[in-house]
Amino acid sequence: MSRLGAAAAAAAALAALGAPLLLGRGTLNDLWNLAFAVILASSWNILGGFAGQVSLGYSAFLGIGAYTTVLLSLRGLDPFATLVPGALLAAAFSVVVGLPGFRLRGPYFTIATIGVGEAVRVAASSVSFTGGSSGVRMPAGSFDFGRNYLAMVGLAIAAVAVAALVRRSAFGRALAAIRQDVDGAEALGVDSTRYKLAAHALSAALVALAGGLYAINFQYIAPGAVFDFRLSLSIVLMPIVGGIGTIVGPLLGALVVSTIQLKLLELPALRDSYLFIYGGLLIVVILFEPKGLVGLAGRLLAALRRASAPPRTAGAG
Amino acid sequence: MGDPRVRNAFAFAAAGLLAAWVPAGAALAAEAGTIKIGAVLPVTGKESKIGGAYKVATEYAVKEINDAGGIDVGGARMRIDLRLLDDTSEPAKSAQLVEQLIAQEKVAAVIGGYGSQLVQAQSVVPERYGVPYVSGGAGATSIYGRSKWVFGVLSPVENLAGTQMEFLDDLVKQGKLKPPLKIALVYENTEHGKDYEKGVTAFAKAHPQEFSVVLDEAFELYAPDYRPLFTRVQAAGADLFMADAHLEDYITMQRTYAQMGLYHQMVTYGARGADAAARKALGAATDYIFASGWWSDLLPYPQVKAFNAAWKAANGSAPQWYHACAYETVRALALAIHNAGSLKPEAIRAALASLELKNSILAPGTLKFSPSGQAILPFVVTQNKPGDKVDLVWPKGDRTGDPVAPIPRT
Amino acid sequence: MTRLLTVAVNSLLAAGLYAEMAYGLAVIYGVMRIINLAHAGIMMLGAYVTLTLFSRFGVDPFLAFFLVGPLFLAFGMALYRTVVRRLPRGGGAPTMGSLLLLFGVWLVLQNFAYLVWSGDTQSILTSYTMRSVSLLGVRVGVPSLLVFAASGASLLFLNLLLRTTYLGKAIRAVTQNRDAALLAGIDAEMISAVAFGLGCAFAGVAGGMLSTLYAFTPDFGRSFLLKSFCIIVLGGMESVTGVAAGALVLAVVENTLAVYTSVPISFQDAITFAILFAALVALPEGLSGLFARAPRLRGAR
Repeated sequence: MSRLGAAAAAAAALAALGAPLLLGRGTLNDLWNLAFAVILASSWNILGGFAGQVSLGYSAFLGIGAYTTVLLSLRGLDPFATLVPGALLAAAFSVVVGLPGFRLRGPYFTIATIGVGEAVRVAASSVSFTGGSSGVRMPAGSFDFGRNYLAMVGLAIAAVAVAALVRRSAFGRALAAIRQDVDGAEALGVDSTRYKLAAHALSAALVALAGGLYAINFQYIAPGAVFDFRLSLSIVLMPIVGGIGTIVGPLLGALVVSTIQLKLLELPALRDSYLFIYGGLLIVVILFEPKGLVGLAGRLLAALRRASAPPRTAGAG
Repeated sequence: MGDPRVRNAFAFAAAGLLAAWVPAGAALAAEAGTIKIGAVLPVTGKESKIGGAYKVATEYAVKEINDAGGIDVGGARMRIDLRLLDDTSEPAKSAQLVEQLIAQEKVAAVIGGYGSQLVQAQSVVPERYGVPYVSGGAGATSIYGRSKWVFGVLSPVENLAGTQMEFLDDLVKQGKLKPPLKIALVYENTEHGKDYEKGVTAFAKAHPQEFSVVLDEAFELYAPDYRPLFTRVQAAGADLFMADAHLEDYITMQRTYAQMGLYHQMVTYGARGADAAARKALGAATDYIFASGWWSDLLPYPQVKAFNAAWKAANGSAPQWYHACAYETVRALALAIHNAGSLKPEAIRAALASLELKNSILAPGTLKFSPSGQAILPFVVTQNKPGDKVDLVWPKGDRTGDPVAPIPRT
Repeated sequence: MTRLLTVAVNSLLAAGLYAEMAYGLAVIYGVMRIINLAHAGIMMLGAYVTLTLFSRFGVDPFLAFFLVGPLFLAFGMALYRTVVRRLPRGGGAPTMGSLLLLFGVWLVLQNFAYLVWSGDTQSILTSYTMRSVSLLGVRVGVPSLLVFAASGASLLFLNLLLRTTYLGKAIRAVTQNRDAALLAGIDAEMISAVAFGLGCAFAGVAGGMLSTLYAFTPDFGRSFLLKSFCIIVLGGMESVTGVAAGALVLAVVENTLAVYTSVPISFQDAITFAILFAALVALPEGLSGLFARAPRLRGAR
């Protein structure tokens, strides 16, 4: 990343962290949601984008994080101290799913993850220690939105940083090799299953952290809210719209999808058409720009450069 | 992405998107002589069908109060300034919007949403800010009694089941049903279904001479095949069939029930029974099914007749239970504000706690909140009769026809 | 003995129903290696079209397939020509793009149905909806029986079509080796369009028949989709006979558990998903051809 880019990113991060000083609650809630979306999109991208393993079961990890936080808090732990156990549990679960799951390739893996996500939801609403379908509440106690806000925004910044670090590391290069040609990577001595498991665990842990913060902020969770299949879908939608496998893509996708959800859908004319918007967005992106908005911007700029290049050389000469 | 210009273009695009997020002007201060009241309802999304009806009825009630000159608060007439927001049936968004109304718009009180899960999510918020909150659309008991600021107009779903059992018990006393009666109890795997199950089993335990539950089985919503479930019901050899299901599953289940040739002396699907969509889908197979609800337009009170007529004139169709409950929620809150004589949150809360809304359209004609904050009112029981007829059969005093029991064998 | 008969009859009925839901999915998968995530949306649309035919023109839902089938064949071919064809080809394995694209199509179809028919619960009540007959002492609803019969007929029809007609042979040739089929002068694009249309036609007809069993909304079919996946995976994903077998396995498991054990009915879905996962992971035999072929083709790209 260039120095300018780094400076812009730092400025944006500082602005987001300092926002509580200036903005009203409604806007801060929206920013909190945006940070939450950024975490989900960026974390999912580590496995789905970098390694090319598209999972539709990420709500399971979100739910595991959220439930761990609530259930441990009810046993007297400090809510923020429950985040790490939640993340570890989600990572462990990701390995349990991944060990058999990664024997599958491409869409078979995807379908299997739909099954896992739904099975976890059904299980959570059927057993009693989770409160079943009625859900559970955090113990009554101090609620501090300022702290919750900083935690979520901080985690969002951290998640993006982790994704950026992974991408540039040897680990990230191995994941890219797996995405491009898994057999070629294997032939070169890359143990693809181990790398996939590691990427899965890392992203699952990040998502579970976000799930814990979600529970701390909302203080009530239920299977229908945190294990929702639609949630798994929007987690996938965001990076795909923005540009899969990049750092900026999931950020941009989170921004676009959140804008649609929070701002556009408030317009009465669009209310009855939100499925058109999501479906249309998916169709257009897949058909015309599989690299998402990042790819689109790249193409636009290339076209712009081609159009503007000749006059400029003429002027210089 | 290595090209700096690409990045710049992104910065522009992102800045444009972010501009949409800048708050559009600070919230307008309340006009003099008005009370800001917030409401968060699922107007779109999966709860939108009934949530939308709650919106219509809430706005209708507010208009009625404002047209009559507003609320008399300590001698001053104040109109209601309703801030109604749509949570799109998302629990997280629902809670955030309640928070936004309280923290940013400084509403005097909040009218809660529809649906247990959404109201659960909302109901943790009022305690933080000390603002009175009245929900007209959630009967799950676990919502209430945790915060002194949270009130609810819908009686517990357990009591819905309890009322049905009292109704059945009364039929036993009249000699129409012969004890001991075995119950096959099936319910959807939701909070509603589980509360229903609790209500039935609790009553059966307290009346072991008359009732016993021989099958207690939860099912998932929208199952493609209910034959396995009904095979268990059949094997249970029960006298009564009691289910709690929502509309789509009620239709599919009752078709399977009828096709398998099952028979029980009495049949119910909880709150479901008289729905027009079900009568259309099932025809004569809905006959004699009994159902409980929070309200029925058949209640023989003069205020109900007046409400029915006024509603029909304004909205063009007969009011349903959800219209009535949303309407009474607004009326209860308005009366509490009047009784409080001020807009102080604590005064309104105290007035809600001691509220007694006379000439209520809900049975038994007076609305009060119990110490937990939840109203505990009798449920009505209706029974479908041949020829698309529906009779109110409970409470006993308000009957429009006698219950038919046991169901005649065809 | 009665219990055994009950399990047998219920399993067969459920198997017919499940198979009817899944044929369209298998046809499209077999030829194109595309998992049609819009399948549920097309079934839903089939149900609404059948409803409209029934309520407006009095067409019997089980005879409506004469109209619904061709209509959805045309719709499927149009969908292929306008959208699906433009997908980047993934060689032997379905691409992620196709999955997401068709999911987008599903969302659009749902929204379309909301606008046209509203979100209200709809249903079809015919003179025989509530009728039943006794089969080996087990009472069976007439619509369920008709769905079973239709499912059997579909199986026969598809097998005959694929085995005996030129179209079927061409479809199978494209299924087995697209490039060789091209060399043999088969218009693979046309065959793909027809196959996609055929898959949609079966989905639409299935939706029409299911409309006699269920109440439906534009969200109809969502809960059947995973079951359908499970079935085609169990059936080895390619053959329609395999679909019928997979459906039978699932149906027998469900009904046996319901009658002979006390496993809660509400665990049914969890069990389905577990079978799906286990079948995907542990039964590579059923998928052996795919697993052997996919990597090589991908490696060559």
